[in-house]
Amino acid sequence: MKKYTIKRLITSLFTLLVIVLILFVLMKLMPGSPFNDEKLSEDMRAALYAKYGLDQPVIVQFFRYVGNLLRGDLGVSYNISKNTPISQLVQTRLPISLGIGFAAVVFGALVGLILGLIAALKHDTFIDTICTIISVIGVSVPSYVFALFLSYEFGFQLGWFPILFNARKAFTSSVLPSISLSMFTMASIARFTRSEMMEVMGSDYMLLAESKGLSGRALIFRHALRNALIPIITVLAPLIVDLMTGSLVVEKIFAIPGVGSLLVNAIQSNDYNVVIAMSFIYSAMYILIMLAVDILYGVIDPRIRLAKKGD
Amino acid sequence: MKKKKAVVAAALCVVMAGSVLAGCGGGSASTAESGAAAGESGAASSVEASTDDLNVMVETPVESLDPQQATDGTSFEVIADYTDGLMQMDAEGKPINAIAKDYKVSDDGLTYTFTLRDDAKWSNGEPVTAKDFVFGWQRAVDPAVASEYNYMLSDIGQVKNAADIIGGKKDKSELGVKAVDDTTLEVQLNVPVSYFLSLMYFPTFYPVNEEFFNSCKDTFATSPDTVLSNGAFILDDYQPAATAFHLKKNPDYYNADSVKLAGLNYQVIQDSQTALMNYQSGSLDTTLVNGEQVDQVKDDPAFQTIGAGYLWYVTPNVSKVKELANKNIRMALTMAIDREAITTDVLKDGSIPTYTAVPLQFATGPDGSDFSGDQDKFKDVCAYDADKAAEYWKKGLEELGIDKLSLSMVVDSDDAPKKVATVLKEQWEKALPGFEVTLDVKPKKQRVEQLQDGDFELGLTRWGPDYADPMTYLGMWYTDNPNNYGLWSNADYDKIIDECTKGETAQDPEKRWTTLYDAEKIVMDDAVILPLYTQANAEMISPSVTGIEFHPVALNRVYKNAVKAASK
Repeated sequence: MKKYTIKRLITSLFTLLVIVLILFVLMKLMPGSPFNDEKLSEDMRAALYAKYGLDQPVIVQFFRYVGNLLRGDLGVSYNISKNTPISQLVQTRLPISLGIGFAAVVFGALVGLILGLIAALKHDTFIDTICTIISVIGVSVPSYVFALFLSYEFGFQLGWFPILFNARKAFTSSVLPSISLSMFTMASIARFTRSEMMEVMGSDYMLLAESKGLSGRALIFRHALRNALIPIITVLAPLIVDLMTGSLVVEKIFAIPGVGSLLVNAIQSNDYNVVIAMSFIYSAMYILIMLAVDILYGVIDPRIRLAKKGD
Repeated sequence: MKKKKAVVAAALCVVMAGSVLAGCGGGSASTAESGAAAGESGAASSVEASTDDLNVMVETPVESLDPQQATDGTSFEVIADYTDGLMQMDAEGKPINAIAKDYKVSDDGLTYTFTLRDDAKWSNGEPVTAKDFVFGWQRAVDPAVASEYNYMLSDIGQVKNAADIIGGKKDKSELGVKAVDDTTLEVQLNVPVSYFLSLMYFPTFYPVNEEFFNSCKDTFATSPDTVLSNGAFILDDYQPAATAFHLKKNPDYYNADSVKLAGLNYQVIQDSQTALMNYQSGSLDTTLVNGEQVDQVKDDPAFQTIGAGYLWYVTPNVSKVKELANKNIRMALTMAIDREAITTDVLKDGSIPTYTAVPLQFATGPDGSDFSGDQDKFKDVCAYDADKAAEYWKKGLEELGIDKLSLSMVVDSDDAPKKVATVLKEQWEKALPGFEVTLDVKPKKQRVEQLQDGDFELGLTRWGPDYADPMTYLGMWYTDNPNNYGLWSNADYDKIIDECTKGETAQDPEKRWTTLYDAEKIVMDDAVILPLYTQANAEMISPSVTGIEFHPVALNRVYKNAVKAASK
């Protein structure tokens, strides 16, 4: 297991390095530059290029960037917030996206799990139909539609929650965006849980356990749910990264100062350093979560753990 | 074995329950964190929004609070909330004294001597002195700072040696600005600049306290602790690229008695629906409204349209596209545009159809009239007349020996320009037989690059005024001006512009004004610019608020004279 983890870590680091290189090349291929403004003259643009070292060959820029990166320096923003270190921008914004995303994941996963369980246990009943309808709506309606609906109903009409994100009332103002974001997760987890549970419950070992006289609760939680969880975690992992890295549209609707809007604004204004830094952070998070999931598999499923030992 | 399984199952339950708790905890932890962040930045003062605050919506975050680095409207507006320059704008946009209490202009128009008031103070208690201006201006031209608006001092302001310093030929200490003593600032110009005083309210010319700057260095103007105020408000809650920030009234402002607002509460909202809901629920006092929302709010007394100064126009590439080098084709294009339809049916935001090369409502002449107040003066060469357009078109095609023509037009991917371009295409293809237009939709940065590189046929573009003088537009058509995208060139035109910037005419405002009309006539007669409309912004302004000053140039919104009636 340890060897496996170390191996995975090294591959991850190498992957990240390749990602930075690809990002660098992509940035260079992107049309326009951070300094295409009507008001900027040719000389001025050249001066700005020189100031930020963008006049150097890409390969020089790349190695300098990686060097700075190793020292924890992500560079400065060219446009969005001129000359501000990106670490400072990320520092204030990432916790907000993480908080809202995490709340959305937890809420979505829990409610989804419960809905799926109920649907599986009461399958082919009226309750199952309702759960299925909720899941279908959740999967098919985009989060920003929920966001608009929730902010109109509960924010504007009823006035229960703030319409805008407010750092001073972070909890109440995170409720609506978190719920909007959680809908897709909730619905997919519910659907997945339902089908996995149905499958597991129809399996031979469940029949055996039941015939051994195990009570309902032990049967469901110890045997059925645990086996059903493995595929669920697989779907949940990418959803976690998705949600935690912020959603552009939901951030826009609630005016949340998160990382999603930062990245999109950066792409639109060709703010190279911000784009690279944000993509790098996203990739790192994705890789980390996938790593965590692989390790979690072992914890949950003894079959996987044993197989690894055999390696 | 069974026992072990039970333990694992129990552990799993704990993990799951833990994740639930962590979930809630995550939420509250971030609350605590952001709370702490807000508390931290507001430690020196109470940032709790007061009901007497004006709640303002802006569309884009501040890009920079460094007066010499800022280039966008939001940044300029916020910097000016807490900083005064030598002059400020009155409600009509004319320069009036601010930090300067008096000024003298030498007979040759080349030397300005400003006398500074002695009661203006920075928020750290230091007096605002002439040295602060010298430091700020030197930063603006310092190649190491690479200020994007350094041309305000060189090309536009004509401050002595500015161009050479920017070009690296002279040291910044040689800039033509000198602190004679603490309250006397002397400025040397290369040539007389008739609008020089109106540049003094532009943030690039704002003072910076050198000692304070050196104490902040790289962090200058990135937080409430790293900016100094000498203006009506003090920044008390701000982070780089923040979506919400706050300013409170400056009790030590030299003119504090006239400031009625307790503070300004800014909210950046990119989604127009959210913005309108917030306005309607009372949490905003002002908000921008987009074209689609206008119909639902246009009967509300709070609905207003405010001139934004931007001129939108189509630029034909006369040097590279031989069909567009044909004047009849260009005339046909401009005569086939129904500008009324574009503003009333598509934009609906109060934008004004424009038939002149200089937009409306931003440049007022020596006699007090709007330079472009008369929109009929070029009606023979720029008006909507489909029949005439078809005639020109036929003649043009004959001269070129072709019977159809297809051209592409590069346009921004933003909502409004895209819509305008679609309508233009329709209007052209309907009025001009055999004409086909393809739209080349690009993100703005790329559209600008294509125009600058001359890599276009037709371009839909805009220009905002840098100072309140027609020259900010007419200068663009000068031979080899970087914004003369179509590379049009006319010796007579260049001569007039030279005369009005460097010649004797430059010192005679009345004559200069009429001579500029002559220049405008040349570009219009030759149809090298197809003007469309002067942009306006549709806004909701709460009836309880009065006195917000709107300007199309430099500072779009000035709040220091605004009054908000007590909330009901």
